[in-house]
Amino acid sequence: MSVPVVAAEGVSKWYGQVIGLNDITVDVQPGVTGLLGPNGAGKSTFLKLITGQLKPSQGTVRVLGEPIWGNPALYHRLGFCPDQDSFYERMTGQQWVTALVRLNGLSETDAVEAARRALDTVGLLDAADKKIGAYSKGMRQRVKLAQAVVHDPDVLVLDEPLAGMDPIARRKVIRLIKGWGREGKSVLVSSHILHEIESMTSTILLINNGRILAEGNIHQIRDLIDEHPHTVRIQADDPRRLAHAFIEHDGVRSLTFEKGAVVVETGKPDAFYGRLTQIAASGELGEVHEVSSPDDNLQAVFEYLVK
Amino acid sequence: MSTPTSSSVPAATSEPVVAPAFLSSAWRIYDLSLGQMLWSRRTVFMVLVVGGPVVVALILRLLVTMDLVSGRGMVDDRPIIVDGPIIFGLMIWGFYLRLSVPLLGVFYGTALMADEVEDKTITYLFTRPVSRGAVLFGKYLAYLASTGLVVLPSVMLVFFLVVPLLGGDIGSNFPSLVTDLALLAVGLAVYGALFALIGAWFKRPLLIGLVFIFGWEPIMVVVPGYMKRVTVSYYLQGLVPHATPQEGLVSTILSILQANEVLPSAAVSVIGLGFILVIGLGLATWLVERREYVLEQ
Repeated sequence: MSVPVVAAEGVSKWYGQVIGLNDITVDVQPGVTGLLGPNGAGKSTFLKLITGQLKPSQGTVRVLGEPIWGNPALYHRLGFCPDQDSFYERMTGQQWVTALVRLNGLSETDAVEAARRALDTVGLLDAADKKIGAYSKGMRQRVKLAQAVVHDPDVLVLDEPLAGMDPIARRKVIRLIKGWGREGKSVLVSSHILHEIESMTSTILLINNGRILAEGNIHQIRDLIDEHPHTVRIQADDPRRLAHAFIEHDGVRSLTFEKGAVVVETGKPDAFYGRLTQIAASGELGEVHEVSSPDDNLQAVFEYLVK
Repeated sequence: MSTPTSSSVPAATSEPVVAPAFLSSAWRIYDLSLGQMLWSRRTVFMVLVVGGPVVVALILRLLVTMDLVSGRGMVDDRPIIVDGPIIFGLMIWGFYLRLSVPLLGVFYGTALMADEVEDKTITYLFTRPVSRGAVLFGKYLAYLASTGLVVLPSVMLVFFLVVPLLGGDIGSNFPSLVTDLALLAVGLAVYGALFALIGAWFKRPLLIGLVFIFGWEPIMVVVPGYMKRVTVSYYLQGLVPHATPQEGLVSTILSILQANEVLPSAAVSVIGLGFILVIGLGLATWLVERREYVLEQ
């Protein structure tokens, strides 16, 4: 077997008295791997350890065969898209991505060119000269992706990259991630939404309470989706018209309204997301701004798994 | 979303990429940070701090123009004449070296990394092929440039407002302005390095920094003994008499403040300040390289 992209051996991480990760041993192989777990499961801690931002309290983490902590040269081959929504708000997308890729050693000219290509890849070229502070949530997610891929890394680590995106952007980013996998990149992508991960890869690491519960090609997880209702919150121009369109959908079990949003409980998430994307793409029911999913869905599945 | 062309990751460059060296990395961090620092909320504070002396200078000029201040008086039954250059020398020491420079040092120096950590943007810098020490050093350079860009023009404004007053002459005093500007730059560099270290070391660096500049330094400088040697202002004082245009009165006032203690020579001052600068920055870099920054979720 080839050298694993990420090799964690006996890794624990604690913050004072709080255990973030508990004795994790796992090898991540090339290709797209989904890291699935509810909020607070330890996903972000794990990703911060394998991107060298945190040092393990115990155990070792190696990326592409080398220890990552205190090894900045490895970042030539590693791209990271963090979950936090933090930026230099006054910079434009182009300026920001250019400035970051310059830290990879590129000249100003090469950096500008690489940044433009990366922004084009994530579909932000039109907004490249807009200030990041004026970007929508979905655009901010995409500019984070652009800075992660701008230096053409072998390994991409993406922490909740689809959070807050509208359905169309979500579909395109999923397509990008799958494409990177096909081209031989290794992508480790985290989410608390089973459906999202499942749409990108069948190789999954299940994490909960700081432990890896299962890894590999988990078909059974797929079957669990239908057994547990899936909740989706959709922020849109006209939630009531959207709700009306959803009522006709046979998978929808309940609808509730929040300020500027409708919350849908569905037993058929695949079909529901497909319909939602169609509606968003047509624009006939107004603009869909943001789609999010609470982790209660996954929590139910995990409770079932650890029973 | 615009039209993404393909799912391919862009090729960054056709040439093999070499990890930037420490100084090159630091320079790129400087480039990235300077604008952020200049347009931060701290700049408003910085302008207020260095704007104070300008306002004082303007008021003084107004009073002199209206003949409300003569510049003549008596000290210990001796007549003294205070002219523009003397007032400028006192302002350099009192407003800038004892107040503005340490304050800017503490507010910016302790925040070099803290701001990025608080804003959670440090992740973007720490996941690039640059050493963490270079990140700190680059941000330190940005601090020097941004504070310098604000402090030095303020000093020049004060110089041109105050020095010509009460018979002072700009031309003959201009060389001392250059010396004063250099001294302020040294002060910013040394205080910045010291507070960068405190920022890298402690959890509440701002509080510690403020205690240092408003508690430790003023007390130690006037207390007899060797403890004054662990202050920055002691070494800065050693350079001030050489920088101010009217040694007589300024030195007299300084000697009163210093409880008749002997000032360090210029050479000792330069060595002392250089030591604090190098050790401060070196240790700060070493600490940042080893420290884990846990961002709040």
